[in-house]
Amino acid sequence: MPAGGTATRSSYAPAPGHRFAIGDKVRVKRSFPPGHRRTPYYIRGKQGVIERICGAFPNPEELAYGFDGEPAKVLYRVRFAQKHVWPGYDGPDHDIIEMEIYEHWLEPDDTGVSHGDAR
Amino acid sequence: MSSFDYYAKRPHDHEHDHEHDDHAPQTEAEGPPSEFEIMSRAMQELLEAKGVVTAQEIRRRIELFEEDFPYRGGRVIAHAWTDPDYKRRLLADGRAACAEFGIELEAERLIAVENTPEVHNVIVCTLCSCYPRALLGMPPTWYKSRNYRSRVVFEPRAVLREFGTVLPDNVTVRVHDSNADMRYVVIPMRPQGTEGWSEERLAGLLTRDTLVGVTLPQATEKK
Amino acid sequence: MSEMGDTPVNKGPHDIGGEAAGPVDTTDHGMKFWEKQANALRSVLSRSGVVKVDELRRAAEGLGDEYRKLAYFEVTTSALRVLLLEKGLITESELQSRMAEIRRRFDVPDEMESPLKQKGKR
Repeated sequence: MPAGGTATRSSYAPAPGHRFAIGDKVRVKRSFPPGHRRTPYYIRGKQGVIERICGAFPNPEELAYGFDGEPAKVLYRVRFAQKHVWPGYDGPDHDIIEMEIYEHWLEPDDTGVSHGDAR
Repeated sequence: MSSFDYYAKRPHDHEHDHEHDDHAPQTEAEGPPSEFEIMSRAMQELLEAKGVVTAQEIRRRIELFEEDFPYRGGRVIAHAWTDPDYKRRLLADGRAACAEFGIELEAERLIAVENTPEVHNVIVCTLCSCYPRALLGMPPTWYKSRNYRSRVVFEPRAVLREFGTVLPDNVTVRVHDSNADMRYVVIPMRPQGTEGWSEERLAGLLTRDTLVGVTLPQATEKK
Repeated sequence: MSEMGDTPVNKGPHDIGGEAAGPVDTTDHGMKFWEKQANALRSVLSRSGVVKVDELRRAAEGLGDEYRKLAYFEVTTSALRVLLLEKGLITESELQSRMAEIRRRFDVPDEMESPLKQKGKR
């Protein structure tokens, strides 16, 4: 996906040197720094699977303060099982939630906990 | 029961309320301008006076949001319903597929997600109200509301029920939090009873609610 | 959902995914004309690069308690004001003068004079 299309025509952008691949198990950093972040509070510390690579984009955490956000950071879509995000999730085990997480918010997760399968 | 869609019955029977003087007093029965309306007008006037924006640019954006953007999404999805190869391309790269269809999305990096008998998709932006505006126009007020943004991520099925949408437990509900650079549109399943319909007629079924995933398109058209 | 008893560290007023809340008002209430204009203003400024989307978001997040009290376009307008001042594109006194002039134009009582002037939103 990321290789295709020109920068303006494609939804995706190149992601040179991306750290994670589709299917990799990852954990969102359990960190609560101040300032503008696009990693929602509720997903911090949660385990998921890389669903797709969106591309490298200027870092919104820098853009927010008038800086150019370079060097660009790789953005991934990550899939999470709802039952692993919300204690007492009231729905079937196969319900999922997906969102975009920047590479610097992700760590590899080797703990062997099931993340739900990719559908 | 589906929620009222402000744009649902549009085509071209709408008249401009405000074609002339952008500085004219509010004529609708909405009372005197609020402090925020006054602030917004003041900022716009100052920026116009300083040449940072022009009145014409502002008018043009209002027009696009009113007359153009809201009608694009239905056309794209209706086309995907009638052309399986196009649907594949739309799923592979939303922005490129829209460009191919003659729709230049502006900044939107569009991801289309497809409803199937096994999976139902629903979109939210919990952090603000990100939405593919150049494809769908302005989001409905409920999409921007605190209650939707906070609840649909942890109790999507309960929120969908509030829209009259009930999904059996064997269907996976897949929530997308549109929290960074990408924007989302749902490709609903094409309803039964629409065989042979023109794309224009199909597009009429595709309200914003169906393209965000809180309701399912119905083959009985409401007018 | 949020853990009981702990005050979340550095959780912005906008970061509300997972918070308990009431039923969704599923009706779309549309936009008033001034809101369409405010949206258009934001859009023109964003497209020309005068303000970045993430700057607008950050300015909105920085409204703190006000964020929860204001309606959507009131937040947008407040955030834009913060940025325009921050970038030196307008000054506070210019803004106040122009607002006063607009109030006169619309025959709205000056906020100092009118006891009704707490158009206090929700």
